[in-house]
Amino acid sequence: MIENIVERGIKVGTKLGADEVEVYAIRRVGTDIVGTIRGIERLSSGERIDAGVRVVIGKRVSVQGGMISRVEDLDLIVETAVKIAKTLPEDPQWISLSRELGKSHVEETLDPKIVEPETDYFIEIVQFLLKKSGEIDKRAFTSSASIHLSTVERAIGNNYGEIQREDATEASVFVSVKAVEAGEESGYYEAYVAPTLARFNPDELISKATEVAVKTLGARRVDTGVYELVFIPKVFAGVVQSLVVPAVCADSVQKGRSPLKGKFGSQVFSENLTFIDDGTYPGLTGTRGFDDEGVPTKRKVVFDRGVLSGFLYDTYTALVEGKNSTGNAFRNVPYSTPTPWISNLLVEPGSGDLSNLVKDVKKGVIVYATIGEWLSNPVSGLLNATITNGIYVESGEEKFPVKGVVLSGNVYEVLKPAEVRVSRSLERFGRFSLPAIYVPKITLAGK
Amino acid sequence: MIDVDTAHWVLEEVLKRGAEHAIIRLQERVYETIIYDTGILRSYTVSKVVGLGVRAVIKGGTGYAYVTSLNRESVLKAVDRAITLTKVASQYGKKSFTPTAPVKDKYRVEFKTDPHTVEPKLKADLVKDVNTNSIKRAGIVSAVTRLGLERDRRVIVTSEGTVVEVDVVGVGLAHMAVARYGAVIERVGDRESYIGGYEHIEKRDWNAFAEEIDKLAVKASQSKTPSPGTYIAVVDNEVVGLLLHEAFGHASEGDGVVAGASILKNRVGERVTSELMTIVDAGLVEGGYPVPYDDEGVQKMRTVIVEKGILKGYLTSRDTSQELNLKPTGNARAQDVSFDTLVRQTNYYAEPGDWKVEELFEGVSHGIYLRGRGAMGGQVNPSVGTFTFSIGPSYIIRNGEPVELVRGVVVSGNILETLKEVDALANDLKITTSVFGGCGKGGQTVRVGDGGPHIRTRRIVVGGG
Repeated sequence: MIENIVERGIKVGTKLGADEVEVYAIRRVGTDIVGTIRGIERLSSGERIDAGVRVVIGKRVSVQGGMISRVEDLDLIVETAVKIAKTLPEDPQWISLSRELGKSHVEETLDPKIVEPETDYFIEIVQFLLKKSGEIDKRAFTSSASIHLSTVERAIGNNYGEIQREDATEASVFVSVKAVEAGEESGYYEAYVAPTLARFNPDELISKATEVAVKTLGARRVDTGVYELVFIPKVFAGVVQSLVVPAVCADSVQKGRSPLKGKFGSQVFSENLTFIDDGTYPGLTGTRGFDDEGVPTKRKVVFDRGVLSGFLYDTYTALVEGKNSTGNAFRNVPYSTPTPWISNLLVEPGSGDLSNLVKDVKKGVIVYATIGEWLSNPVSGLLNATITNGIYVESGEEKFPVKGVVLSGNVYEVLKPAEVRVSRSLERFGRFSLPAIYVPKITLAGK
Repeated sequence: MIDVDTAHWVLEEVLKRGAEHAIIRLQERVYETIIYDTGILRSYTVSKVVGLGVRAVIKGGTGYAYVTSLNRESVLKAVDRAITLTKVASQYGKKSFTPTAPVKDKYRVEFKTDPHTVEPKLKADLVKDVNTNSIKRAGIVSAVTRLGLERDRRVIVTSEGTVVEVDVVGVGLAHMAVARYGAVIERVGDRESYIGGYEHIEKRDWNAFAEEIDKLAVKASQSKTPSPGTYIAVVDNEVVGLLLHEAFGHASEGDGVVAGASILKNRVGERVTSELMTIVDAGLVEGGYPVPYDDEGVQKMRTVIVEKGILKGYLTSRDTSQELNLKPTGNARAQDVSFDTLVRQTNYYAEPGDWKVEELFEGVSHGIYLRGRGAMGGQVNPSVGTFTFSIGPSYIIRNGEPVELVRGVVVSGNILETLKEVDALANDLKITTSVFGGCGKGGQTVRVGDGGPHIRTRRIVVGGG
């Protein structure tokens, strides 16, 4: 069905006089189960088809689209796109839609349990997550637990190559645990986000959430000052996504919005940090055979032992520099203009586990969760986040829980010292596979 | 297809299959956006959301199904799916919904010019003009200018006889400038939105709007970050809106309260803010985003959350109101038909006080004036009460005067502490909304409004560089 939409759109656009036409269609079938302390709250399920069209007349480009109610809707979208493109000014940098359509081999992207979900089975998992925290520790209860399952069919094509089609699944399981004792409250959430349920362990998920919620009861602020920090992988991912990822995307660099402009080949981070973008890495949510322009995904090193060794390109930004796309075109919805973004981001492991990183801390905080890290400024590199779950550490020993403290610093100073270290053990979630990280110096605003 | 007759036909099909209660939602939303990035048209996009959602209740079990294909076969499949989910849900727990009297109404935002009918070239030229003028200004290295035009039509029909149609049109322009000074690069962005037609775009001087942002970005790139620590703060209308929305609004949402996930649970009747503060959520208010009815078809009334410092109640949907023994406040909202409703804010704000703005600075020997222009937003963990915001370029206050611009300002605090520290409210109430973003929760974004007067708080944690 969705290939038919793509094929039809290309034909209609060409007939209407467009020089280049690209059509992208996604059919998503989803099931959601949401539970709270009250029990199973909501069951919902549905199907949506979204399609986007990019037409080019000379160097005039227009993107249109939306949800599709009937196949004929697409004709109207293409007609509108052509009509608008004719009236627009030229983009002097425009060269071409992608001529590199194709598909890489990928694994662990489709789970039959998600394609045909047994609702009762997943309801039981939600009920288990709701009940288990209180059994692990009397001070804890699960305030919410939810499972979201989707089957996603994608098809994309343009007038230069064959239509690419791929089916995948997505599973997201979220659990929020609260702990209450003597008037003190704390909360923590854990999530499993992956294309399949192959690595899903409900016991482990609820145990981790409960452990951190309980151990951060009675949290307080530390004095304002400079501290060592250990970020668990999930928090490290938040920092990387907010500050590093936008800065390595070619559009930011070309438009002067990246602090990494002109730094290719320079030592940007500690030698202990190697970042890889890899859309073919198995079992992450960015694992797929082709990007949002139909270009095959691939593995590329972004920082090699701290040295900036590559940027991420979609077709537009690549052609501006006379290069090939790196297979990193990303669209929020099929009817948005593509921009470069990560596929999956991997940070190479170091040595030891989290406790090894903590044992050498003289005065610092283990950060289990922050809020607001996504509000950091990728243009300046300024990192800002508020710790909601942390543990103060002195001479390698955990002393007391911490919250309500703002951490600030420039990410290019925070991650550069030779003392920065990462753990051997990695955690996977969403598009990331990362270690925990130790940073020797960061400012905390507290009391 | 988005009409009351279709909704009634679907309702009939749901009731025929044994539903005791049902809500049918139809929606068509058109969003047009034109983006110029540093002199080049980056995108001109028109997108359309269209579809249908069905909520059915049988023996206390609730199921929701949605579909974007509006042919008879697909719609009936969605109806069957909703019924199946309802039957499964009834085995695992029962929910009840506060009954509401049926309402029949049409609400439509008045406008002179439908923004989607204006010639595309005219609109693209406006954005181009603002953007290209911006990048010619000294110190500006990059600029993104965006025009947003939206029309959102919703039809809600319930088995109790409610038939509501809501048609909202909004327009706005956003501009983000990046300035460089030596090795420092800084960005400042702002946006201005209006509820109504394209006439609002035509009457505003957008070059003057962008020039102010550009100048602030240049000044910010030359400024320092503040010393981290605790400050006395004078807070402008925009930051007050953010503060109330994030720091208090989310914790007052009834679904979080009944789930035990809000720090405001069991605190009705307690003093939770300074006695100077009265906090309200209202569906129809000047400057805000109009929500005359929620997505359950309940009229959104003015809801007082805090009166003179005392917590009076929560925002509710029909099921959370039942649980909390409150009336439904009309706050069940969904991003679009592919989602069932959650409890959401509409326009959340503080009532004004009687101070003049300049009086708030008097007697502050060392503090900070927190400014909203360039603010990136905020986040809260409502279960522990911790919140944080990224603020725009702000001023250090010395001896009662805002004197030194600082950049990269982030503030943090605790819901139950920060608003108790408010010791003065000005008389300059201002509420704003935006057609470029909104409030995110549970994977859904809805349009909201927020604001208040300038306030002064005795203590807030500020992070800097």
